[in-house]
Amino acid sequence: MQRTPRIATLALAALLLGMLAGLGCSSRKQVTTADTTPPPPPPTETTTPPPPPSEPPSETTAEPTAAGLEDAFFDFDAAEIRNDAKDALTNNGRYLQGHGSSNVVIEGHCDERGSVEYNLALGERRARAAKDFLVSYGVPATRLTTISYGKERPFDAGHDESAWAKNRRAHFVSK
Amino acid sequence: MALLVWPGRATTQTDVRIGVKASGTLKSPLLLERFRAGAGAETDARNAHDVVRHDFDLSGVFAVADVEALTEKLTPNPAEQGTVRVQGNVEMAGPGLQFSGEVLDIGSGESVFKRSYPTTRGDLRRTMHKFNDDVIEALTGERGIAETKIAFVRVSGRVKEIWVADYDGENGRALTHDNSIALSPAWAPWGSEIAFTTFKRGNPDLYLFDLVRGASYPFSTRPGLNTAPCYSPDGKWIACTLTRDGNAEIYLVSRDAQTARRLTRNGRIDSSPSFSPTGNQIAFTSDRSGSPQIYVMDTEGSNQRLITLEGKYNDSPQWSPKGDRIVFASRHDAVFDVIVMDANGQNPVQITFQAGHNENPRWSADARKIYFSSTRSGQRQIFIMNPDGSDVVQLTKGGESFNPAAGPRGKKRLQAAGSG
Repeated sequence: MQRTPRIATLALAALLLGMLAGLGCSSRKQVTTADTTPPPPPPTETTTPPPPPSEPPSETTAEPTAAGLEDAFFDFDAAEIRNDAKDALTNNGRYLQGHGSSNVVIEGHCDERGSVEYNLALGERRARAAKDFLVSYGVPATRLTTISYGKERPFDAGHDESAWAKNRRAHFVSK
Repeated sequence: MALLVWPGRATTQTDVRIGVKASGTLKSPLLLERFRAGAGAETDARNAHDVVRHDFDLSGVFAVADVEALTEKLTPNPAEQGTVRVQGNVEMAGPGLQFSGEVLDIGSGESVFKRSYPTTRGDLRRTMHKFNDDVIEALTGERGIAETKIAFVRVSGRVKEIWVADYDGENGRALTHDNSIALSPAWAPWGSEIAFTTFKRGNPDLYLFDLVRGASYPFSTRPGLNTAPCYSPDGKWIACTLTRDGNAEIYLVSRDAQTARRLTRNGRIDSSPSFSPTGNQIAFTSDRSGSPQIYVMDTEGSNQRLITLEGKYNDSPQWSPKGDRIVFASRHDAVFDVIVMDANGQNPVQITFQAGHNENPRWSADARKIYFSSTRSGQRQIFIMNPDGSDVVQLTKGGESFNPAAGPRGKKRLQAAGSG
């Protein structure tokens, strides 16, 4: 009984053959080194303590702002410090210098537009830009840590520019 | 109305009887008979038919028409060369069921595939997925994806967990129960492990979920971002984004977590790596030119070059498992749409249109389909379509889901490739 593909036209057969030939070469090349059995889990397993109990989700979307510290806002797809953000960060720098013992976490946040992964990186840039501003103002870097939430913790759940503008921010939380 | 910035626009043909181009391959006419049933198996026969009918429809390979079962031997009809007829029969067999399927070539009248499957009521759905994949392999030489799984992120209030489901969105279940933010699932090539980002210990860390043990393990917990994982085709490396050196850069971290090699070096964002199927190249997103664009580099980090020449905002590249094309998301006129282009950046073709935001495109294991997330029905949900944008089907409903990742065809296939 004939076993050649029944439904393919000559053109498709040629296309498939070409692709299979191409794949075959690369597959074979890799197979010599490919380990098809899963490697063992990373060795970190035994040295890692169990994760702390998860916090229940809170009702509000925003983390509480550290007292006396203002958010710095950003333009779309940008991590440059705007003039209004300079004023906010300057006030924050003054406050932190006057409260010498307080450490803060600077959260970088984004609006909902764009990929999860890109926005995590963009939020990181925003948090670090705010931190760099404060360090150059004179706040010791050891008092400032950063984290990016990307687009995952919006302050305003809306889908318009008014909401997005609020969500593109560096936010300050007491440590 | 939004202006289309992409020069090519995929056309969708429906006249499959004359073998027109659709989804980058030929859609072949398939006549699906009403399945025969033994005593007591009438409902099972209907269920089996409906499952495989949906599989054939989703495959991107067939144009399906329903027909009654033949009452006598098939008369060959050379004018119908290329059309196949699928027959099925479900019978009670001991405590379970038996499904028997056969494919006839109408042109020659010959049987081109025939197999019996012992099964049960609970397993019937999986059996029909296997039959679908067997038929597609017998007719095209390449297996279908109905037996594969997808992973994705499902949202519940402030919580985001990693879920897995069948390839068609059925039988979804939560993998993680961390009550935190879990993102960006990526399948290991051997199919029993998923890398993902989680905030469960406060920092965005990379964890590996072992589907056999049902548990996850920390993989990269460096200060700052540990995001955007993608396994190398041989499974020995995970490309990802780390900010341990101050800015989002792409690294290769060995699967045993012992070695990290930095691949990119610039003051802007580099993220979302995707290996070529040979493992020799990586596509990624960088905003080094001022806005996000798609770049390609050799796996050593050398020869970094921009490949998207159109569009101001291009992100989320994924290399086709065939190696010939790259799919990505592009922002234009304030919306996101899915674009497919040649792997060298030529011939970009927009394949989603005026239907909300369409993002997170991911090839199926056979490259015959593209999964993506879309807001066209409200909240983000997972959809599947052909690579020319036709046959869009919504796979998840309720709540909100995004970040689809298509699983591999499984260990058996890897071993088969390994012996070749």
